[in-house]
Amino acid sequence: MKLRAILLIVLWIDTSHAESRPPLTPGERTNGIQTLNAVDSIARQTKDCAALIYLKDRVLSTATWVGADGYFLTKASDAPMLEKAKIRWGDKKSAATREIYRSVVHDLVLGQAVGVTGVSAVTFGSKSNTVGYGQWLTSPTKGGKEVRIGVMSAQRRKIRGDGAAIGVRMDEKTTKGGGVRIVGIAEDSPAAAAGLRPEDVLIELAGENLSEFMRVNEIIHNRQPGEQVDVKYRRAGKIISIQVRLASRTKILQNWEGEDFANGGISVRTDNFSQVIQHDLPLHPLDMGSPLLDLKGHAIGINIARVDRVTTFALPAEVFWKEFQPILEADRHPPKALKP
Amino acid sequence: MRRRFTIALIIACTGFLSGRLTAADVLPQATGRTSLSDLLKVQQSVQTLLPKLRTAVVAIQTHDGTASGVIITEDGLILTAAHVAEKPGREMRVILDDGKVVKATTLGLDKTADAALMQLNDNDVKWPHVKVCREITKAQPGVWCIALGHPGGFDKQRGVVLRVGKIVKQTANSLQTDCVLMGGDSGGPLFNLAGEVIGIHSQIWEDRDQNMHVSMAPFFRSWDDLKMSQIIRVWSTGSGGYLGVGLGLSDGIEIKIALIKKSSPASQAGMMQDDVILALDGEKMPSVSQFQNAVRARPAGTQILLQLKRGTETLDVKATLGSQPKEDEG
Repeated sequence: MKLRAILLIVLWIDTSHAESRPPLTPGERTNGIQTLNAVDSIARQTKDCAALIYLKDRVLSTATWVGADGYFLTKASDAPMLEKAKIRWGDKKSAATREIYRSVVHDLVLGQAVGVTGVSAVTFGSKSNTVGYGQWLTSPTKGGKEVRIGVMSAQRRKIRGDGAAIGVRMDEKTTKGGGVRIVGIAEDSPAAAAGLRPEDVLIELAGENLSEFMRVNEIIHNRQPGEQVDVKYRRAGKIISIQVRLASRTKILQNWEGEDFANGGISVRTDNFSQVIQHDLPLHPLDMGSPLLDLKGHAIGINIARVDRVTTFALPAEVFWKEFQPILEADRHPPKALKP
Repeated sequence: MRRRFTIALIIACTGFLSGRLTAADVLPQATGRTSLSDLLKVQQSVQTLLPKLRTAVVAIQTHDGTASGVIITEDGLILTAAHVAEKPGREMRVILDDGKVVKATTLGLDKTADAALMQLNDNDVKWPHVKVCREITKAQPGVWCIALGHPGGFDKQRGVVLRVGKIVKQTANSLQTDCVLMGGDSGGPLFNLAGEVIGIHSQIWEDRDQNMHVSMAPFFRSWDDLKMSQIIRVWSTGSGGYLGVGLGLSDGIEIKIALIKKSSPASQAGMMQDDVILALDGEKMPSVSQFQNAVRARPAGTQILLQLKRGTETLDVKATLGSQPKEDEG
């Protein structure tokens, strides 16, 4: 009895108001099934215009169908080798892909699913200019299995870039036995993802022998986020070769200690965009490349970067479509993606 | 597993609605299926309110990072989080919505609840400000809400960052919402759809739906102490009433006293072990939690009338509530 009494005294400090409603179930929350009921009428079309890009059995990114004859756009830095990739959509449909045009500026790549017709493509007709702060937006997630809602959450703007980084801090002195010794690794960085650790010694980068740390910065700074570089390093006398995908430098510097920790994963390239619409939809990095629509079901852009816990960027259609549309039209005549 | 993180923003330094909407207009049903028109009503409220609300939201530069706050009076009183203010009397740079930089000084703080007040130094200016919601219990799960703040620090090109979501859970001192927060948001405001402040961003857990805000309760409970630059570490100061009884779970739904603390208000009032509490100030007490809340809702010093059952007898007892003793610090 006494124990129980003591327990209750402790509880005293932490009890909620008796008249309070119970906590919301997941289904009742903003992106729960009961709330998403509001967008039911456009959910089907929202889901149908998305597909997943795979390399072997790994999802690389999401694609948006932009032509019923299998043309799609996806995030270029997440889908480096479309010729080797596959696209999957709907109920276990799948096709090989061909790469048509890659734009480093927009971080988008135009591809085509080989031998595919009759997919549900978006039309970038409506102007995204009319979309304002606080307006509801929707996107497919999980390759078109579900939808999410959120609002445009900040002012439309340009996002500057500051090149690529790998996320290592290096010893400035030359290391015995050659190479450059790593002294620190940034959290969630390409180096961390590749399994590099402090005390590893970098001996080769992009095919070049390393002897001074400044050279590492030079080699990486000339590249784009999303690019793969070959890295050779020495750990406990063993030499190991790996490939590392570079990420946006700004993000790595800001997040060196993992300050942005509960973000659910971020994109490799998060900056250097000519204009973005920022929104608060709870998306995943692998959802990038998916379409962003208004509540009438009009496609207004493509999700291009998961940046942090509260930020996703989408490229407004008018930024990229005038560049991609003529290329798509030209590719159509004569048709190239015949049955393989 | 990651536990609880304070969103100390701490990124190493690198209602006056025109055409007033009534509650019925702006608050779609809290639970149950949402319709498209419900969503569009929320959007209309948000878009109508935002131009006004954002002028009262500020970025605060602490000694080692950046956070947020909200101005709530014309003479420049700011609500923020205690982990932003850290201690009374500290002067900090404050950035207004238009990018103008001014100075403010921290007043009191409640470290237990993470609530703090600041005062803008320049008091002959009429500061843009918003209203605070005084009906704390209305911030219930399911209610739509708006979070504003400066995640990652002030960015003129980006502007204040908006998030729209719902209250997920209400506790005595806090609200949980699905408005995602991150470093830099700390101290920023959570609004209801009437444009009144209902919470201050405090901390996050790992999940996206785990965003915690200080409710208005700790602010109102300790308002005078906070304005007088007091530090509240435990709930003994301005924390609401304390009776000094341990409650056992007896058979059925009776609230039975299992323990009377020595020299507590309960023992001074002559309450005894095994007394059953029937009513407080004439209000029937159907559950332990309701009784606890009723006691806590009354400030220390309040005289209460308890109706008790002792054996087969029913009796009325008057007690004067005290303050929570320090050893119960939790």
